[in-house]
Order: sequence, then structure tokens, then C-alpha cells
Amino acid sequence: MRSASPLLLAAALAAGCGGTLDDLFPSSADRRPPVQAGAEGPAVGQLAPDFTLTDVATGAPVSLHAALSAARGAVLYFTMWCPICDAHMTHMQWNAIPAYPGVRFFALDYVSGSAAQARAAQQAAGWDPTDFTVLADVGAQVERFYSAPMQIVVVGGDRVVRLNGEYDWPAVQAALGSLP
Amino acid sequence: MVAPEGTSLLAVLALAASLAPGAARAASCCGGGGGGAAMLARGDRAMADLSLEWERYDGFWDLDGRHRPDPAGSSLSQVRATLAGGLRLAPSWQVAGALPFAWNRNTYSGLSTRTRGPGDIAISVWFEALDERSAWRMKEAADLVPSVTIGLGLTVPTGVSPYDDVPSSFDVTGRGFYRLDASLLVEKSYRALSLSLSGAYGRHLARPVNRVYGKWVEPYRKRLGDRASAGLSLGYRHFVGTAGHSLTATASLAWLQEAAGILGGSRDPTSSIARTAAGLALSFASTDSDWAARLSWSHAIQRQGWGENFPTTDIFTLGVRRALR
Repeated sequence: MRSASPLLLAAALAAGCGGTLDDLFPSSADRRPPVQAGAEGPAVGQLAPDFTLTDVATGAPVSLHAALSAARGAVLYFTMWCPICDAHMTHMQWNAIPAYPGVRFFALDYVSGSAAQARAAQQAAGWDPTDFTVLADVGAQVERFYSAPMQIVVVGGDRVVRLNGEYDWPAVQAALGSLP
Repeated sequence: MVAPEGTSLLAVLALAASLAPGAARAASCCGGGGGGAAMLARGDRAMADLSLEWERYDGFWDLDGRHRPDPAGSSLSQVRATLAGGLRLAPSWQVAGALPFAWNRNTYSGLSTRTRGPGDIAISVWFEALDERSAWRMKEAADLVPSVTIGLGLTVPTGVSPYDDVPSSFDVTGRGFYRLDASLLVEKSYRALSLSLSGAYGRHLARPVNRVYGKWVEPYRKRLGDRASAGLSLGYRHFVGTAGHSLTATASLAWLQEAAGILGGSRDPTSSIARTAAGLALSFASTDSDWAARLSWSHAIQRQGWGENFPTTDIFTLGVRRALR
């Protein structure tokens, strides 16, 4: 079929741009690097390092480790106030937050330039009031550490990362159910 | 019988209106860059088409269908250049393809990005099942027979997806999944008026995922939900001067719904989407339709209940097409 040749050539050229071969030939190989137990890091099984961010509703600083010392665990959801973010947060609000008392739920805004702007974004998106504590991750420093745009991280009260990935409700339930 | 000149261009506009917006999922959070539909007009041997699209994001529908604004001070847009071509294989059979390239521009109060990359390629095979008898008379029942075109399409994930080696959602220009589509296009012309109905049903193929935004994860399987789309358009053709050039104005309505996907073996209740958009288009065709140019505007209706879990955007398109007979 003569017409197919240019299309295949175009596909091959396109595939060469941006490393999209992974989508053309997706792999199920587990390529996660080995995790050193007890070391700080973003991966499941590692210890979550502390951070301090501003609570956009009160202006008070919030430390992860301080929050964990008084809770069974913490959920960090990285939001940019987009449709997917809204869907994930809504699902958590109705399903996860009531089912797991003693767990702190944080929404980290990683796209706003200040706590005041994050507060305005929260209100415009209809998330005020909310069961989430909204934190301003100005400069996306925490988001970049976890590489988790629009994703969820679950950390236990023992600081061990239980989940870091896409919002997959059974996986979220498993991670929250494993908290001490 | 060959359909009157111009009506198939209307059909292409209608089909593109119903399918193309669905290919995108929003540069604001999850990329876009789909190629949409390409099709030869009846009687044409081959065609090449170049279009430039500017998609401007302006809020979104939430899961309950309420319209929400984007964060104050944000500016989100995507520009797509799409090169499409088609070739007639047999009197009633044609093959077509569309290759997009996308530029994302996203600005928030604390973050600004500009990225680019290829979009997902669309390849389709079309069968012209039925030709309408006449566009100029309506005297007997047989004159009511519309033209009917059936298509099979394949979307190839050549775009940059969340599962490639990219650190951010702002790099995304494709969805990362193969999709098979079955399409149906029905159109009927009477004198200067043309009415077209289009519909499509698509199924995404499941794939393994072992990396998300550059982060290796425990492998799992994922499949986006089945998608259904439909379009309705009404066009009016006006001849310009005495040389036979024509201007066609088209109004359209496009509807898209994608069911919840499957993530790790379970239904993902946060992934279903819906979108309704209205469109206007103006196209100019030369006497023999060898050359055609078009301007179009697609507007997502920012009202409660007209969409779900999807960005509301305006898409402005400028396109030019060269057909060979």
C-alpha cells in the first residue's frame, strides 16, 4: 500500500521526537531503583524528609513531621486546581477522609506564586471550606522531590512513604489501611 | 453519483468538529495534540491539508458538571499544526492520516512553561457506502437518500505522554494509548443547504505502565475508557461571483463522552469525561474545489451540565487544503 509508507515514515519521525517510543512499545518491566531502607527519599519504603509550608487559610507554617507526630499518617495531594485534580480531591473528600480518621489530608498547590495566590485559587476552584489543609508549595520544591504532579503520596506516622503515584483508589485504600 | 462540490468539505468540518476536540485532554493539566479526522471529498484522488489551531483554556467542568475558573492570573493554551493527507485507493475507498505537532504555553502565578512535541497520529480508512442522488431536486423518496461514509480509525500514541520520560504534565502532547475508532457520517444536501450527522465510537487499548512523569513505578495495566462522540452540522453554500467559487458557512454542535478507565484492574471513578461544544466555520472553495481554505471556531459551552471533568476551551482553526482529482 503506497500511501502507508509516508504515514509510517511520519510516525517514525514523530516517535524520534520526545522519546515517545515508550508509548508505541510500552513495557511492563519493573525498573524501580533499589531502595535503601531507612534512608530519606521519595520512593515507597523510604523515609519522608521534613518540609515546612504555609497553610494558605491561616498563614501558619505547617511541618510534615510535626503533623505526623500527632496523626496516623498524612496524605499529600499535589494540585494545580485542574479537572483531574478536582476529581481526585472530590473522590477523597467523599471516600477517603471520612473512612480514615486520624489521617491528615493536605493539598499542596505547586503552581501558585504565593500563599495568598494559592488561597485565591483554592477559593475560585470552590474548595473553601474544605477538609483538606491547603499548603502553598511555592516553587514546587516538594512536588519536584516526589515527582508527583496531580498525584498522591501517603506517608505513615512512622515517616515511611506508603504510596507515591497515580490516584488509584484501591492502592490508596491499601496504603491508608497499612498505616499504624 | 458524485456528491456536489463543497458538501464533502462540510462533512469533513462536521466530522472534525465532533472528533478533534475529543483528542485533546487539556494542555492545562494533561496534554492534547490529537490529529482529528481527515477525509477526501468524493471524487478527489488525493489531498493534502495543513491546519493551524489555537486552543485557549478557560476553566473547566468539575465532576458534577459545574463550571470552575482556572486560577487567577493563569494563561493556558496550545497551538497545533496538523499536516493531513488522503489517498483514494478504489472508487469508494480511501485512506487518510493526520500528523499534529503541538506547542504548549502555560502560565500560572508561580510557574511558567513552554514546551512542544508531536501529537498523536490519526490514521483512518473510509468507505463511501452510499452517495446521495441529487442535491438539486426533491421529487421522490429516493431523492431523500443521503450520502453515507463509514470509517475505521487508529490513533497512534506518538505524542509525549505522562508515561514518557518527562518531568511535568506541561510537557504532555498526547495521551499514550492506542485507540480504535469506528465512525459513521451521514450527510444530505438540498440546493444550498447541507445537513450532516456524524458519530464515532472508540476503544482505547490497555497498556502496561511502569513510569509516570519520569518516575519509575510498580508496573500495572491501564486502559482509558471507551469514548463516544457525535456531531450535528448545518451548512449554507453561497456562490461568489460568476467563476463558481463558493463560500460555505457552517454551524455545528459536537458532543463527546468518555467512560471511566481501568487502572490496575479497577474502574477509575475519577476519569470519566464529557464535553459539549458549539462551532462556527467559514470555508472558501475554488471553482473545482481544488483549493479550499477554512476558518473555524469551536466553543465549549461554559454552563452547568454541558460537560464533566474536562477543560472548557475555545479552538480557533485556520486551514488550507489542496485536492487532486
